[in-house]
Amino acid sequence: MTTATGRAEPSRTTPRGEPGALRAMWQHRVDYAYVLPSIVVMLIVIAYPIYYTIDLSFYKTPPSLQLRDKIFVGMENYTAILSSDVFWRVTWNTVVWTVGSTVFSFMLGFGAALALHRDFFGRGVMRAILIIPWVISAVAASYIWKWIYHSDFGVIGAVLVGLGITSRPPNFIDNVDTVLPALIVVNIWREFPFAMIMMMAGLQTVPDQLLRAAKVDGANTWQRFWHVTFPHLSSVSTVTILLLAVSNFNSFIIPWIMTGGGPSNASHIWITHIYELAFGRQRWGVASAYSVLLFLILMTLGYFYVRALGGNESKDRGT
Amino acid sequence: MTRSKVGAAVRGAVATAFITSLLSTSALAAPPVDLSKWSPEYVKSVAGTKDFDTAADCAKVTPLDYKGRVTLWYQGVFEGDPDILRQNYKEFFEAFRKTYPNIVLEDQGITYNDLLDKFRTALLGNAAPMVVRLQILGGTEFAAKGYLQPLKPEDIGYTSEDFWPGAMKAVTWDGVTYGVPTNNETMGFIWNADIFKRAGLDPEKPPATWDDVVKYSKQIHDKLGISGYGLVARKNAGNTPYRFMPQLWAYGGGVFDEASPDPTYKEVELGSAQSKAALQASYDMYVRDKSVPVSALTNQQADNQPLFLAGQLGMMISHPSDYNVMLDLQKKATGADAEKAQTVIDNMRYGLIPAGPDGKRAVVFGGSNIHILKPEYVDGGKVDEPAAKALICMWTSPEWSLKLAWVGSNPGNLNGFLTKWMKTRLETTPFLDVTTSMLPYGVPFPALPESPEIMNIIVPDMLQNALTGAMTVDQSADDAAKKVKDLMAGGGL
Repeated sequence: MTTATGRAEPSRTTPRGEPGALRAMWQHRVDYAYVLPSIVVMLIVIAYPIYYTIDLSFYKTPPSLQLRDKIFVGMENYTAILSSDVFWRVTWNTVVWTVGSTVFSFMLGFGAALALHRDFFGRGVMRAILIIPWVISAVAASYIWKWIYHSDFGVIGAVLVGLGITSRPPNFIDNVDTVLPALIVVNIWREFPFAMIMMMAGLQTVPDQLLRAAKVDGANTWQRFWHVTFPHLSSVSTVTILLLAVSNFNSFIIPWIMTGGGPSNASHIWITHIYELAFGRQRWGVASAYSVLLFLILMTLGYFYVRALGGNESKDRGT
Repeated sequence: MTRSKVGAAVRGAVATAFITSLLSTSALAAPPVDLSKWSPEYVKSVAGTKDFDTAADCAKVTPLDYKGRVTLWYQGVFEGDPDILRQNYKEFFEAFRKTYPNIVLEDQGITYNDLLDKFRTALLGNAAPMVVRLQILGGTEFAAKGYLQPLKPEDIGYTSEDFWPGAMKAVTWDGVTYGVPTNNETMGFIWNADIFKRAGLDPEKPPATWDDVVKYSKQIHDKLGISGYGLVARKNAGNTPYRFMPQLWAYGGGVFDEASPDPTYKEVELGSAQSKAALQASYDMYVRDKSVPVSALTNQQADNQPLFLAGQLGMMISHPSDYNVMLDLQKKATGADAEKAQTVIDNMRYGLIPAGPDGKRAVVFGGSNIHILKPEYVDGGKVDEPAAKALICMWTSPEWSLKLAWVGSNPGNLNGFLTKWMKTRLETTPFLDVTTSMLPYGVPFPALPESPEIMNIIVPDMLQNALTGAMTVDQSADDAAKKVKDLMAGGGL
């Protein structure tokens, strides 16, 4: 795009911080003016809340006081969190939830993408059906699954009892040992179509001639997949896994609606715990400290995501 | 249990308890009803004895031609309420707009479990409504934080004696009154006589004590393979404390000393032997006998209602409104299901909530209050006080405090018991006498800003820890007691 200044393209080699950089910025002043509104909005809706959350994380907010009357406690919220049994339990739940949901969603999605990549009758219908879990409301899905799992009158229980496999309906979500795996299954069911779509898009980029050449060279199906297809999908796989991981780390709807983090905190993950601390218990300071820690983790994941994207671009440019 | 049996059983105790309750307050002026004579028969005898003109009464507070605007959030009708209540709310808002045609009312109904969270969030952004009708548990927190304006019944044309003494305590913080009670409720005990009969129990006799509940629940489960008692232990659900606290108090336990006539809320009692005995009773039903729904940890009362209607649940604590809920649900059923539901409805029985081992009977004195916010916390920074008071005057009038509590509760304004509508209500709503009989046994939640966290999180957590085996009964009670102590000391996670 030509800018209003009509000047020559600035040198990319100008070292940052030197007068040349300022000159380049000045030459691009109209470009900066174009993005300024977005920057201002970003500062208001992202930077300020981040600053405020970090600030709040150093205060105590008892239920009898307004937020403006908060008490400065320094790092106390952080030390209280890190020394709390609940924190470690919730963190473990979050790790299990995130890793379990991400890995299995990806594997299932990848498998479905490979299956649907082949040409067969009804492929379009299958593709449409498999996308359904991803497009329906997570809230509605959570309520439906809650009833499917219901410990007294759930569909699964009724079928198992009806077939004589068990005498009592299995206890999925009212049991501290099974609740988290049960919720992960719901999450995988809801998320695998996303991985499937991403991987289907990735599969379109695998060069046909390479696959044919490998076949001519005597490579079997597995070898063609492992040595040709899979390497071509590494970038899209990385991006998909990172997006799934970030999304799962931030998951709220399914665990909150189905169990509220219970029973006995067995299905509390970070986000639901932060919500309960803030809105249910008004521990705004502690919830903010949790949020800061979560922010740091997500930023780390974000860093790898950007790096993965950068890697893709480099490959695309052949550099 | 028949109405006369209920009356005979409770009359003496009711009068005594009520007098005690009354004397524990500073209310020396005469209330509109004679609380010392309180009984189902007395309630029937005073119904329809006095006429009220709501519009004329409220015109003295705010002229009927007043032009203004008021915003309202209220804890409204939810999925467990009967259709008749939805209709009454609709009629109230129509009546208000007709009575005050120049006041623009912007109302928003929010469910019990969501209102506190949403209201707290709005307050943080100074985006609250001018008027809020909160559950009885919530008012103290917001009064203590300074969000609410002082507001007493006298400000809207009534007297404090027109309202239940216990309810007035719940709207008082640090000696100042911050709201007006809209309705007050005490639940009853419901059982299915047919299930009792088939389980070999006396179909017309409810369990007298909580130990009997445990025993009956086991007997029902063992004989019929269905759930005996409708235990509810979900976290962040109002239904849980409403069902567990009566049990806790009946065994002589408590969070503090809230069940005593003059509570001080100084000592934490959750770790006491009595509290542990109450928790043990729940443990025995859920873990040892497996005689209650397994889903109790994730369910609330709205989930028990269809189970009861399907004849899969023998007993539960609830409002008289559950009768109407059952009728609503039955209308939606078809074929054999409808017939089965009708059988359950025909066999519904209501009685007093069971007593503890030493005969102590208790129930949560629940309800809701209505408040006016300070302007600085309101969306737009202004409160139209005359409009707000007009709305509150109508809502808490004898007429509407009764009609808006038609089947699930009782009027906050005691004059409601004198109206012709009360007479209609008694004639059309079965089992109402049971809940009015329970009123004197009502124990208000501790009037503390920390109460929502205690009742919605710490108490359900205690139940869940014990029932899932995450902790023993003793450990979970002690753990809950420690959490309450930490909370009251301003700390804890």
